[in-house]
Amino acid sequence: MFEIKNLHVKINDTEILRGIDLKVNAGEVHAIMGPNGSGKSTLAKVIAGHPDYEVTEGEILYEVNFKKINVLEMEPEERAQEGIFLAFQYPVEIPGVGMSAFLRAAFNALCRHQGAEEMDPMDFDVFLRKKMKLLAMDEKFINRPVNVDFSGGEKKRNEIMQMAVLNPRFAVLDETDSGLDIDSMRIVADGVNKLKNKNNAMLVITHYQRLLNYVIPDFVHILVDGKIVKSSGKELALEVEDQGYDWLSKK
Amino acid sequence: MTDTMIAPTEKNSLFMEQLDTLTGPLKGEKSPGWVAQLREEGLTRFRKLGIPTVKDEEWKYTNLSAVAGHRYTLSAKSALSPAQRKDILKRYCGKADVNIVFVNGAFDKELSNLGKIPPQGSLPAVGIEVSTLQEAAKNDPAAVQEIWAHYDPQKDSAFVALNKALTQEGVYIHIKDKIIANQLICILHVTEAPGEQIATFPHAFIRLGKSSEASVLETHVGLNDENIYLADPLTDVFLEENATLHYVKAQKESLKAYHVGTTRVWQKRDSTFNGFSLVAGALITRNNLDVVINGEGAAAFLNGLYSVYKNQHVDNHTSVDHRVPKATSNQLYKGVLNDAARAVFNGKIFVQPIAQQTNSYQLNKNLLLGKDCQVDTKPQLEIFADDVKCTHGATIGQLNEDEIFYLQARGVPRKIATRILTQGFVDDILNRLTRDSVREQAARMVAPSLEVLEG
Repeated sequence: MFEIKNLHVKINDTEILRGIDLKVNAGEVHAIMGPNGSGKSTLAKVIAGHPDYEVTEGEILYEVNFKKINVLEMEPEERAQEGIFLAFQYPVEIPGVGMSAFLRAAFNALCRHQGAEEMDPMDFDVFLRKKMKLLAMDEKFINRPVNVDFSGGEKKRNEIMQMAVLNPRFAVLDETDSGLDIDSMRIVADGVNKLKNKNNAMLVITHYQRLLNYVIPDFVHILVDGKIVKSSGKELALEVEDQGYDWLSKK
Repeated sequence: MTDTMIAPTEKNSLFMEQLDTLTGPLKGEKSPGWVAQLREEGLTRFRKLGIPTVKDEEWKYTNLSAVAGHRYTLSAKSALSPAQRKDILKRYCGKADVNIVFVNGAFDKELSNLGKIPPQGSLPAVGIEVSTLQEAAKNDPAAVQEIWAHYDPQKDSAFVALNKALTQEGVYIHIKDKIIANQLICILHVTEAPGEQIATFPHAFIRLGKSSEASVLETHVGLNDENIYLADPLTDVFLEENATLHYVKAQKESLKAYHVGTTRVWQKRDSTFNGFSLVAGALITRNNLDVVINGEGAAAFLNGLYSVYKNQHVDNHTSVDHRVPKATSNQLYKGVLNDAARAVFNGKIFVQPIAQQTNSYQLNKNLLLGKDCQVDTKPQLEIFADDVKCTHGATIGQLNEDEIFYLQARGVPRKIATRILTQGFVDDILNRLTRDSVREQAARMVAPSLEVLEG
């Protein structure tokens, strides 16, 4: 359902991704691991359509209604409306914009795109509270400005809560595990696992193997210096945990 | 009256010439000698100063030559239609509030509900006095005169002096010691005088006794964006020991109007002035808010929001004078500018040598949405004490691209994201208005300036 072909990406004339190939089928979880600076987060942002990155070569194809569409030609909001979701590594704080208003705007944009009726504010409130409960988020957050005065862990949980609200078909989790204590990690992982089904797929980007104990990947890819140097099953994550990345980059 | 073109150099003299015409009708008024004396004092002072020009440091960024270029009248022939009256009651006069309404500068008894305030001696409004200025001057002249005694007439600004010379209508509010006034007191000025070019000079006195508390909303609205007029309101606030005033000045004048207003606040020990200034329109707005902190432990909160578009110009000058130790002042002014709008913020903080352990903060944040808008922001701190905490800052910028991308990544189109973030910038400060009805009115007044984003 999602395919990256020979993707090359530059930022400020520095090439960060140097030919990525990746194919993800519905129902699969793929993990991308790699040392700092290998280009993991760049890949996540390029998929979501961040304007700072320049794609110099390659394509990203995404299957919608049995048709392959070219993701790189779409605005970030169009990608999101088609079900591509990015859980941010550093969620953005938005003073003055309440969580509920923010998510209702997002949810309604999705409804409009699908030709469905917008949900009325009262119903949405009930719906949102349910999703917050799923991520063990205190209800008081519903009226707070987005991510303002949230702890690191709360921000990450909030990303997955938003994923639960928007129910994407292809989700990219960018270092969702960093900065989480073990309890939060379990809550987040449980949330992610509940959202997993045979029709959607996930790309889990992580520096450590920790999260992958809970969200079990079907494939693990190692990204070094802008290229995928090794792909294998879930056991690869443990190997990396044991031996680090050096043995891979020297090859 | 048609507005003839006049060369800029002659504009000021044109305005000075009309002073005789403007003061003419006041000569026949049956007022006590002290009122006539105040008028004369104001007039003399104004004749000396004239309309300020950009050569004056205080007026460097705000050019009033357009203000001086019109002929004004003190009263209007126009009257509101029944539909307009109904609309005003609906929009601006809460049934549960005390409403004092002025239309084209004149007190409108029918739109006001002063008569419905329980008279003194009956609960719960015992100790709350709200009347027109004329009545107060008649009933309690000493109290009105005493207020003037706080200020040196030789230091009055041009527009304070002009107000003093020409004021006809106003409000007198007195909350007695230990009285907590729960009712919102609304002073409303409506201008609707097509083709008439009127000038209004309302004066409000708000006086809070020891350990009392009140909420006052002063609103200025123009009903028709084509109307040309000048509003020169003056509001004097006096807070006795431990008194708390929640005061909002909200303004949405016509797009061709001039509003040059002054609010002076005098604070005694442990009193709190919780102020908010909203500017949502006028061709040229200048608001002076001058706070004198004259009692230890007093606190002044100065919040402000301005949101303008087209060729509107808004200038906020604040001044906080810490004359005693251990007081706090905290200012946050936010502005949204669109099209070719222009804003000026000048925030003065004086900390006198005796005023040790002063805490004073000031922040001005501007959001520029238009290609041709401009902001001049200038903090001005004069600190003569050494044991103080004072900070100030100013930001001028566009919407944060990271925030826009975050919303887009959730499926919200860029245009809607822009609207949501701008509203967020505005709500962040509007949320400081804790009284729902006031916050809702402020939000309604500011809404048209934000709707232009969608056009």
